Amino acid sequence: MAIELSNIIKDWVPNKSKVIDFGCGEGSLLKELMIEKNVFGYGVEINDTKIQECIAKGVAVIKQDIDKGINEFESANFDLSIMARSIQCLKNPNLALNRMLSLSKRCVVTLPNLGYWKCRLNIMNGKMPVTPELPSSWYETENIHLCTIKDFEKLCADEKINIIDKVFLNKNSNRGKFTSIIPNLLAVEGVYLLEK
Amino acid sequence: MKKNSQLISFADGITLESGHILNSFDLMIESYGELNESKSNAILLCHAFSGNHHVAGDDKDLGTGWWDQIVGPHKAIDTNKYFVVCCNNLGGCAGSSGPNTINPDTNKIYGSTFPQVSVEDWVKSQKMLMDNLNIPYWEMVAGGSLGGMQALQWTIAYPDKLKKAGIFAAAPKSSTQNIAMNEVARESIRKDKNFHDGNYHDHDVIPKDGLKTARMLGHITYLSEEHMDNRFGRRFQNSESKMNKGIDYEIENYLQYKGDQFAESFDANSYILMTKAMDNYDAGKSKGLIESLKNIKAKLLIVGFYSDWLYPPERGKEIQLAAMQNNINSSYVILTGDHGHDSFLFHTDKYSKIIRKFITS
Repeated sequence: MAIELSNIIKDWVPNKSKVIDFGCGEGSLLKELMIEKNVFGYGVEINDTKIQECIAKGVAVIKQDIDKGINEFESANFDLSIMARSIQCLKNPNLALNRMLSLSKRCVVTLPNLGYWKCRLNIMNGKMPVTPELPSSWYETENIHLCTIKDFEKLCADEKINIIDKVFLNKNSNRGKFTSIIPNLLAVEGVYLLEK
Repeated sequence: MKKNSQLISFADGITLESGHILNSFDLMIESYGELNESKSNAILLCHAFSGNHHVAGDDKDLGTGWWDQIVGPHKAIDTNKYFVVCCNNLGGCAGSSGPNTINPDTNKIYGSTFPQVSVEDWVKSQKMLMDNLNIPYWEMVAGGSLGGMQALQWTIAYPDKLKKAGIFAAAPKSSTQNIAMNEVARESIRKDKNFHDGNYHDHDVIPKDGLKTARMLGHITYLSEEHMDNRFGRRFQNSESKMNKGIDYEIENYLQYKGDQFAESFDANSYILMTKAMDNYDAGKSKGLIESLKNIKAKLLIVGFYSDWLYPPERGKEIQLAAMQNNINSSYVILTGDHGHDSFLFHTDKYSKIIRKFITS
C-alpha cells in the first residue's frame, strides 16, 4: 500500500481500537497499525498466498469471500472497518457499505475514480478506460462496479452515510496541490472516512 | 531425527474432573528433536481419537507415525528446530494408564473399571507431563480433531503456558450428529457377545466383531464422498484378494480390511471411553463459548477443510468468531484437502506452509 494512503488511514485509526480490514492482502497495513497504534487487527482475505503472508507477519486473518457476506462479523464490535481498493469489485457495493457501517462505528473506503481525466479521455476515444491505475481490459477486470467521485458521494447521501473526512490522491498517490480542487476530474483515488 | 520413547510414572496421581481419583498413573510419551538451552522450542502435539504417542517416523510395532507427513526434519513442524512431545492420552491403549493396563491398587486389569476421563483431564495430565519434563511453556500446542479440542482446552485452562495453538479440523464441541455416530459405534461394541459389560479380559476374549463394525462406521465418517468415489468408485474387488466371500466392491474390502486391522490393535473399553470424552467436551459448557475464551493469551490458528463433513469448517469458525469477540489474535483458514475429516493428517503445500509460518510468526 502506498505510504501516503497508509498514513491517511493511520491518522483516522484511534489507538487500541479494534479494526477489520476487508481485502487485507498480505496484512501490511494491519501490521503497521498493530505496531504503531496497538490495534486489535483482523484481516479478511481470499487469496491463500496472501493469507500465508499475513500469518507469517502474525496478523490475524480470516479466509472469506467478502462477496459472500460479512454479516457474521457484526457481533464482534469493531471500531473501524477498512476496505481499500476493493469495493468496486463487489457485487453489491451499497449493501457492503451499509454492512460495514453496521459492524463498526466508522469505516474507511478507498476507490479508484472513473471520472479521472485520463479515464474520460479513453471514453471520449470510444474505449473503456485502461490506465496505470486501472490496467486491466474490460473483459478481465475485477472492477465490476466502477464509479466516479461524484457517484460515490451521491450514494453516501442517498444511503444517509456521513462523510467525516475525505482525501484525494493524484497519480503518484500523493495529495497533489490541485487534486482536491476538482477531485472528480483530477483525483485518481478517493479516500473516505464514513459514519452512519 | 533424535527420537525418544519413555513411560513416565506420576506417583502422586490425579483427581479427574468427575471427582474420581487415580492414585497413580503412567503416560507413554514419544519426543523428537532436542529442547534448547532457553527451553523455548517445545511443542506439544495432541492426538486424535484413535491416535497415540507415536507421531513421526517408523516404528516396528506402531508403524508410521500418525502425523509423519507434517512432523519431522525439514517438515512443517521441523524436529531439527523444535522439541516435539506427544503422549498417549490417559485412558488410551498404547502404553499409558487405561482400561487395558493393570490397576496398581488391585493388581488386576482395569477393564470396565477405568474411570471416564475428559478432554479437561487429558490437558491436566499433559500439564503434569510438561512440569515433569521441566518445560516452562509450549511454543505451540497443536492437534487435529479431538487433538484440536485438547489444543483449545490448553488455551483455556493454562493461558500462560503456551504461545500458540494450532486447532485443526476441530470444533468447540461435538455436534448432535457426531454423538449419534459415536453411539452407533459404541452400541456395536456393547452388543458383541464377547464384550461382557467391558470385562472381556476376565473371559480371555475380545469383542473383535463389535470393534470392527465400530471402526468401519467411523472410517466412513473420516473420508469424504468425493475421496471415496475417486479412490474406489464402484469397482469390483478382484476375487483373489477378497477378505471374505460376501464382498463385491473395493470399498467393502477396504472397510473390512481396515476394520480387522483396527480391531486387533485397539481396546474396546478405550474406544467407548475416548468417544465419550469427545462427545462430552464442550469448550463453552459452563459459561458459553465467548466467556470461556476470555482469558486466552495464545495466538490461535484454526484450520478447517472443505471436504470434512464430520467437523465441517464452520465448526472451527465458531471458535474464531468467539475468539475475535475477545480481541484474541486468531486466524481462520479453510483449505482443500482430499481426505475429508482426515485431511488434517496429510501434507499439502498450503497446509504445511500455513503451519510453518504460524510457528515462526
